[in-house]
Amino acid sequence: MLAVRDVVKSFSGRAVVNQVTFDVQPGEIFALLGPNGAGKTTLIRMITDILKPDSGRILLDGKPVGGEQRARVAYLPEERGVYKRVGLVDSLVYFGLLRGLTQADARASARRLLDQVELGAHATKQVQMLSKGMQQKLQLCTALIGDPRLLILDEPFTGLDPINVQLFERVLAERRAAGSTVLLSTHQMNKVEEQCDRALMINRGHMVLYGPVREIRRQHSGHAVRVNGTNVPAALPGVSAVVAENGGWRLDLEPATQPDAVLRSLIEHGAHLHSFMLDEPPLEDIFIKVVTEGLGLDGGESGPPTVDEPLTAVGAR
Amino acid sequence: MSFSVARGAVIARREYLSTIRRKAFLFSLMLTPVLFAVITGIQVLTASDDAKDALRASAIAVVDSSGLLANAPRTFTNEAPTDAGAITGPRKTRAPQAARTAVTFFPDTAAAMAALNRGAVRQVVLVPADYLEHGNVRRFKLASNLFTSTDERAVGRWLARGILTGAVDSTRADRASRPLSGLQLFVPSHAGVFELHDDRRDLVDFFVPFLLGMLLSISIITGGQYLLQGVTEEKESRILESLLCTVTPEELMFGKLVGLGGAGLTLVVAWSVMGAYVGGPIAMAANFHMSPLLIVFGVTYFLLGYLFYASLMTGIGAVASNLREANQMALMFTFGNFIPFYMLTKIIGHPDSQLAIGMSIFPLTAPTSMLMRLAATDMGVPAWQLALSLAILAGSAWLAVVASARVFRIGLLLYGKTPNLPEILRWARQG
Repeated sequence: MLAVRDVVKSFSGRAVVNQVTFDVQPGEIFALLGPNGAGKTTLIRMITDILKPDSGRILLDGKPVGGEQRARVAYLPEERGVYKRVGLVDSLVYFGLLRGLTQADARASARRLLDQVELGAHATKQVQMLSKGMQQKLQLCTALIGDPRLLILDEPFTGLDPINVQLFERVLAERRAAGSTVLLSTHQMNKVEEQCDRALMINRGHMVLYGPVREIRRQHSGHAVRVNGTNVPAALPGVSAVVAENGGWRLDLEPATQPDAVLRSLIEHGAHLHSFMLDEPPLEDIFIKVVTEGLGLDGGESGPPTVDEPLTAVGAR
Repeated sequence: MSFSVARGAVIARREYLSTIRRKAFLFSLMLTPVLFAVITGIQVLTASDDAKDALRASAIAVVDSSGLLANAPRTFTNEAPTDAGAITGPRKTRAPQAARTAVTFFPDTAAAMAALNRGAVRQVVLVPADYLEHGNVRRFKLASNLFTSTDERAVGRWLARGILTGAVDSTRADRASRPLSGLQLFVPSHAGVFELHDDRRDLVDFFVPFLLGMLLSISIITGGQYLLQGVTEEKESRILESLLCTVTPEELMFGKLVGLGGAGLTLVVAWSVMGAYVGGPIAMAANFHMSPLLIVFGVTYFLLGYLFYASLMTGIGAVASNLREANQMALMFTFGNFIPFYMLTKIIGHPDSQLAIGMSIFPLTAPTSMLMRLAATDMGVPAWQLALSLAILAGSAWLAVVASARVFRIGLLLYGKTPNLPEILRWARQG
């Protein structure tokens, strides 16, 4: 779907995006992560052809972004605005026309989207009469009109109440089911864990994490399992330590021990288990660790990872 | 660069419709001519009142120490030189406005001044003993202003007649006091044939270039201001980033230039129609013919002038952080557009002067200045000057569009910080 290859962008001699390479697969929700100032917005602006890269290529279905590809990409920026003195439908129709819809199709699509985000009753109102949350829903509709194949959302959940967060998530799931691809930039790591298939993290313009979200978490786990239940033995073969933690136990495994062997062993030793899970750190912890430890800040002599590589902490190689 | 005319057209349509539907536009459309008419009306009425005041039946006090005026008439007629209130009527039907003034002789200055102070007379005229040699007459009035000289001329005629009364026959005395009362001035017509001059033609010859220039200037500035406001508002509202994902900066700029230029042109057409409706009878009465070429050049200068000015406004809107800052930056260009009006008498009165020629070639003042010259000379501007003016303006407009497009692309996404001039110039050069 989207292929970003060796992209570099500098401002005033400083590389803001440096040799970034990644792919976004059709139909997936892909997370773009990074601390403030990491280069995410610059990268997105290059993907949307608002900025041109100094070098490297950005392809959408094999063709360079921009030109007629524009109609296939929509962007909901973090710093978003609306036309305040127009009606909701008129505002959406304008963007629909710009994305190549006919007047009738744009109008029908605008009505459908407003209904979808529960703004149908306000369709003829002026935008300035809406609350902030309602304006955010309108902004989402602005991004969705014209059925873009690649949807880029920058912090879409910021400022929304839990009900509207659910609404946004439902809309995104529907879009995904309809075949759209979503590139999601957010600092809300729980949303990434819940929603996203794969993730890329950049720091100071360099790639530092890239791969499936599950794989990233697994790679950063401490080779331990977490169990809840009763009659858990204090020692097991292949387990170096059993530590009581948060009302359960963390079992630190020896390097050669596989988690399924520990599960069998627990049952054989008469343990009654309520839950058994790999002790994977939350993405937020990984994010903080990677950023604060400054992993990969030198860009790595071996260059950025390829898509096929399972390695997730780029600078750790 | 990929450029979609279709997307540009969508933007142009939206910009045009959203602008002409604004209350501010409708107010501007309707109220500007009304305001102009009201101001003109007040001026005409004031002038008329002043003239009427000067013509009011009254009395003057004369202290004649020379003895020359012993036989002078004890009344005289005070006539208006022109009739400002009836410029639309055929000349022959205009009735002269006049008032009779009584002359009272006083033996000394003190008595005459006392009469003035108590309001018995409107002015005192002291004629000294050596008046014939030196002509030193002193007048005393309770009030005077720059524009009321009617009574002075009347007093002059009365003095001439008074001196001659008894010395020559009454016909000669009368003619000497009003030597040009039957003056007929002949000037070349548009066809080059000498025709009887009509005072109203002077009025039309002045006001047509002035109004055309004003119309052009206001239209260019209005369109440019719409652009400045539109770009700044979109930048401030942070909607540009969503928009620029869908359209290119060039398409956005093209759409705005066309749409808001269309709004400016709508003002020109509407005001022209209103002006023709109101001013048409005056122009027809004065036998004024507007050359179709003048309209062609008017539209051409509007388009090029608008393109030049509006491009500059677009660039300014893109680099400014907010509307107030944008207006401050735009002020010198807006002022430049109005410079010709400070030189109005030179451009219309002396359209072939070096100043008029220079201003009609300098791109910022060219549209207004050249249109005023064309109208003032009835398309008599030398072809080379016209060609040079158009070429320089077209070249400047093209440069402004290219440079502004580059600045526009970079400046649009720049928030919170206004670049300095070297930075802007570097963007304009390099893009």
